[in-house]
Amino acid sequence: MKKKLVVALLSLTLVGTLLMGCGGNGGDTTTDDTTTETADNGGDDGAADADTNDAPAGGGENIQIVSKGFQHQFWQAVLQGAEEAAEELGVTINFVGPNSESDIADQVQMFQNAINQHPAAIGLAALDTEALLDGIAQAQAEGIPIIGFDSGVPDAPAGSILANASTDNYAAGQLAANEGWNAGIRDRVVNANGSVRIGVLSQDATSESIINRGLGFIDQIATLVEAEGLTVSITGNTRYVNDSAVEETGEGGDVIIEVLVPSQVTNELSAIDMQTLLNKEDTIVIYGSNQHSGEAMVTGNATIQRLGVGADDVLGIAFDSGATIKQAIRDQLFMGAVTQAPVAMGQAVVQLAVAAARGETVSDVDTGAQWYTADTIDNPEIYQNLYD
Amino acid sequence: MGAGVKKGNAFTNNPIVKTVGTQKIVVIGVIIFLAIFFSWMSPAFRQYSTVVSIFDFSYYVSLMAIGVTFPLITGGVDLSIGTGMVAAGLFAGNLVNQQNLPVGLALLVCILFGVALGCLNAFSVAKLNLPPFIATLSSMMIARGLGSILVGGMSVTWPAGATEQGWFRSIFRLDANGTLIPVGFILILALVIVMSVFLNHSRPGRYIISVGSNKEAARLSGIHVAKWHALAYIISGFFTGLAGVAYAATFQGIVPGTGAGLELDAIAGVIIGGTSMKGGYGTIGGTLLGVFVMSLLKTGLPFIGLQANWQQIITGIVLIIAVFIDVTRNAKK
Repeated sequence: MKKKLVVALLSLTLVGTLLMGCGGNGGDTTTDDTTTETADNGGDDGAADADTNDAPAGGGENIQIVSKGFQHQFWQAVLQGAEEAAEELGVTINFVGPNSESDIADQVQMFQNAINQHPAAIGLAALDTEALLDGIAQAQAEGIPIIGFDSGVPDAPAGSILANASTDNYAAGQLAANEGWNAGIRDRVVNANGSVRIGVLSQDATSESIINRGLGFIDQIATLVEAEGLTVSITGNTRYVNDSAVEETGEGGDVIIEVLVPSQVTNELSAIDMQTLLNKEDTIVIYGSNQHSGEAMVTGNATIQRLGVGADDVLGIAFDSGATIKQAIRDQLFMGAVTQAPVAMGQAVVQLAVAAARGETVSDVDTGAQWYTADTIDNPEIYQNLYD
Repeated sequence: MGAGVKKGNAFTNNPIVKTVGTQKIVVIGVIIFLAIFFSWMSPAFRQYSTVVSIFDFSYYVSLMAIGVTFPLITGGVDLSIGTGMVAAGLFAGNLVNQQNLPVGLALLVCILFGVALGCLNAFSVAKLNLPPFIATLSSMMIARGLGSILVGGMSVTWPAGATEQGWFRSIFRLDANGTLIPVGFILILALVIVMSVFLNHSRPGRYIISVGSNKEAARLSGIHVAKWHALAYIISGFFTGLAGVAYAATFQGIVPGTGAGLELDAIAGVIIGGTSMKGGYGTIGGTLLGVFVMSLLKTGLPFIGLQANWQQIITGIVLIIAVFIDVTRNAKK
């Protein structure tokens, strides 16, 4: 009797799990549908424009854009920018992407389809360059120009990618330093009694984009501090200490830059790193170089509560967005954050593709990054680049 | 402390020591030592916010650890609790964000997800007779993959504390006019008491212990071994779901594909707390104390300038000592 009950219970839970699975998949499909629809609309819009656009403005070229997918709202914003540029230039775009960033084979297929349509140019954000090499060679042989975007096509054969539209992460880190400096860091540094500490939270010391965002910030802060006639020293994670432009290591500077990297990427360890910085009395600023670090700043501050924009508060600077970071900016828990510009990225890839198709010389475009604060977060040109 | 243990009869016959248990006295001693040591080394450690932080980061580990004590007592293990906790938090949080599910219901879904995972483990271990290590290693992978699929690979952020749906965050940390009260600790204590009574004074609890101490003897004495063996994993699953709630309440974004490795923190806590890896012996109170040793090390070491990597080395050493005590005890028996 009891045995039957247990078996029944188990079966029920298994069925339950399956149902949960189905429910989730249902959700997935809906997302896919919307994205496909949006993508189709993009194509249609472009086509309509090309039809009505008899004016000499556009040549009506067909541009194929193969992205990494639509999982992230980031990509919706890229699509929006691409559509805007297509309309402006009078070309047709077809914007596609796999269901997830692990569906490499799907992307290869999409890239192949794009080539088979003999477009005027192709925009490509590669998931796996290796898997796309055959297609890249074929496109080159057929004289179809390829433009990289987002993280581009790393390690592609020389000359195969004519230009890239991507974020210059080092410059984005410098932007965070410059804006933060003017908005309050300078006052704290110049008016300090004794040395002050600027904390940098990094998710890891391996990803190029994260390292560059960190180094851009560190080097720029150092330049600004030295311009005031003060000294800088750096301590913490070896990779950052070695690669930064700061000469002096240790705790000896008027401004001490301390870089913390957790031994594993977990919410808890990053939050403890944040608390380590908050617990040092001389800390005046903390910069988190990606969404994970920005969220760890919020978690770590929850019990210590030193972040803010008041005179005695520790200033917080984040990178990218997401629901938590956007809320922290609105609440003025963070003084500001840097966002990449996916809309500009979408515009740039189409502009570069069209220019390349028309035989013009193209070169890499830094699609830029923007500084945003509680005051500017709702400006349309900022808000379009933020996601949950 | 070592001398204290060796006092022999006078020490072990002390009524307090008898009720609390020798290993637990040692662990309590370690906790007091660590607290004094860190306070002495770092003035910044001596702050109320540090206490709240230690509690804050201990809840999800404590809950996983209370649950996994049961499979460990049966001589098994549950490796799926880390990725299972993250998957539960992802799935339920996604329902709040995408389907507008009320948070109260989502918390229930989170717990049920854990129970379902526990049932899967129970089925593999008690019904299919798979070795617990393999069975739960498999479900650990399944939970990791399933969590990602269910949310389409995107990270999930449960509602923020300040929002209407964010009330669940005060289950563990109450903000009373600026003073933070770690109410989660009271909840955890209550659960420890309930589960201790269940383990030591209820028939199912005693049966679970007997499965771990001598499976064959238990079977021969007419105990339905498979049933109670299964129950241990279902309890572990239930607490995995509860840990998912605590994890969602403490942290911001939950990222798909994470969680692997967190189960080892919980298991280490259980072992430090005196539960035998061989099964047949363990206490819930000891588990909580073991988790606190881990939490104190994690939070305290950065205060004395020892960063992340050192903390793992020291935790490893503490674990070796704890297991050594366990081995010595078994040898004496």
